[in-house]
Amino acid sequence: MGEATRDQVQRSNGKVETSHHPETDQKRDDKNYYGIPPIKRAHWTWQIPIYFWLGGIGAGTQLFATIAQLLGHKDEALKRVSRYTVLATMLLSPVLLIWDLGRPERFYNMLRILKLRSPMSTQSWSLFAFGNLGGLVAARQAAEDGLLGDNTLSRLVIRLVPDRLLNVLALPFGLFVGFNTGNLISATSVPIWARNWMLMGPTFLTSGLSTALSWLSLVLHLGRWGEAKTLRILHRAEKATILMEAALIAASLIRMGRWSKPLFSKEVAPLFVGGTLLGGVLAPFVLLSGEERRSRSMLASVLALAGGLAFRSSLILAGRQSADDPEAYFTFASGESAPQPEDNV
Amino acid sequence: MATGFLTDTTVCIGCKACEVACKQWNQLPADGYELTGDSYDNTKQLSGTTWRHVAFIENPKKRRLTGDVDLVALAEDVTEPLPGGAELDALGRWAFMSDVCKHCVAAPCQQACPTGSIIRNEFDNVYIQPDICNGCGYCVPACPYGVITKVPHDGRAFKCTLCYDRQKDGLEPACAKACPTESIQFGEVEDLKARAEERVQELHDKGYTQAYVWGTPEVGGTGGIGGNHAKFILMDEPETYNLPRHPFLPQEKVKGGVIASAVAATVLGAVVALAFRD
Repeated sequence: MGEATRDQVQRSNGKVETSHHPETDQKRDDKNYYGIPPIKRAHWTWQIPIYFWLGGIGAGTQLFATIAQLLGHKDEALKRVSRYTVLATMLLSPVLLIWDLGRPERFYNMLRILKLRSPMSTQSWSLFAFGNLGGLVAARQAAEDGLLGDNTLSRLVIRLVPDRLLNVLALPFGLFVGFNTGNLISATSVPIWARNWMLMGPTFLTSGLSTALSWLSLVLHLGRWGEAKTLRILHRAEKATILMEAALIAASLIRMGRWSKPLFSKEVAPLFVGGTLLGGVLAPFVLLSGEERRSRSMLASVLALAGGLAFRSSLILAGRQSADDPEAYFTFASGESAPQPEDNV
Repeated sequence: MATGFLTDTTVCIGCKACEVACKQWNQLPADGYELTGDSYDNTKQLSGTTWRHVAFIENPKKRRLTGDVDLVALAEDVTEPLPGGAELDALGRWAFMSDVCKHCVAAPCQQACPTGSIIRNEFDNVYIQPDICNGCGYCVPACPYGVITKVPHDGRAFKCTLCYDRQKDGLEPACAKACPTESIQFGEVEDLKARAEERVQELHDKGYTQAYVWGTPEVGGTGGIGGNHAKFILMDEPETYNLPRHPFLPQEKVKGGVIASAVAATVLGAVVALAFRD
């Protein structure tokens, strides 16, 4: 060490000064690497929340329509609307999902294997099953409605397609599509999603049912097709479902704990607090609780439908922030908070 | 036979030969000229086009050099009291760590992959079959170490293959071959485990008691992952190297989630059925 340096060291009270001295650098006190996210976020953009939303509507519609059929509730308009709804959601969902792929031309590889541990794999298969069964039922409906023309094929479809049996078979696959959208995001390393593994599926399914009931009641009101009794049943079911949805969202927030913070960030709060909690849950419930009127009911339906989409979008956006936050991941993956094999339901 | 890496950060000099060798051998595209302004590290992280990444860590706790510092003694690895009351703490003022895919024993990316593109090959390495991957990207948020990303313009997900092609020809991976200090060692997992324990013991004996192996079933491979085939010898807390302490296998809870959801579905069915009662 040179004489000059030695002097400098002694003057600076024994501390060596270097050009890279970090003592003034705030970042060095953090327990992370320059704030670079330790995990990578999902690439999902707008297609995925819309798919989650459509899948939920399809699942809830299937649940309501099948129960109506099993209980012997005869309403042609309800039957027609619900069957075409399932068909439409199951036609649009694969389009959105294939659009989202990096190599869309290889979409069929989704059905190359069945992997029970991969929610993406089971989701693909249940969509495939639900879409085909729902499609067959919708084909029979189309034949009954005369959309296939008056010919042998049409009569054959009506004779050969057992709609009751197919509806019952489609129900579990439909429900699976509905709740697995939640389980799909939970089975990742993203703290806000993974933390809520138990309630994510139930919350998504309940929210899906609430959007489906709203959709059915909205369409039946709009066309003035529905029987008064059907609308009354829908109204009752909607109210109960929204209550359950509110309870499940509250329980999810408690479960997420400190990792729920992104839902209340500047970017996501308008969608989550405004769009979901106030617009999609509270407002429809207030509207439905009052006097039963067509306009009120329709407004409630529109709000609940928009709220369902806002809920899914806000969770996807919050997941992005959660994955980008090293502090969130490191606190999550440092102790008891992360899901462990020995945890039970 | 399972092969893997042992990355000994205590002898890494941050030359980035591994990064360059990996890019060259695997013909990976450039990531652009992005200057972080944080340190000499401008590749920042692992990704679909960066399969080895050298982290440059400056840590104030570790770089306190007080008193009359004898740089020769520092270079010679001396930890005894130095003349003039000088103190040396840890291995110099920089810490380098060449990060790579951990090749988990129970790999979350493999379990997430819906196409069966991600497999374990004959060397027990986690390998993405590029002719099958359809770019769904579900492996990306599943990885607890942020290793995989989808590559823009290509659409598919990529990560370290542990030089599958070289191993098939009996060669060691490009990064291990290029490493001038043997910071990156390639071999059978069992051998590497023994070597890692031996090296940590050696470091402990020299007075570096903070050294430990990361990537064992206890540290860095917990929560169902069951350890990693790419292990690291670290000198600081895992978070300093951007590594989680107790990562978890996200798919561990899939079954529980389905059971809870099935209960919810039954309840919802009952609620809807009750609504039909007049």
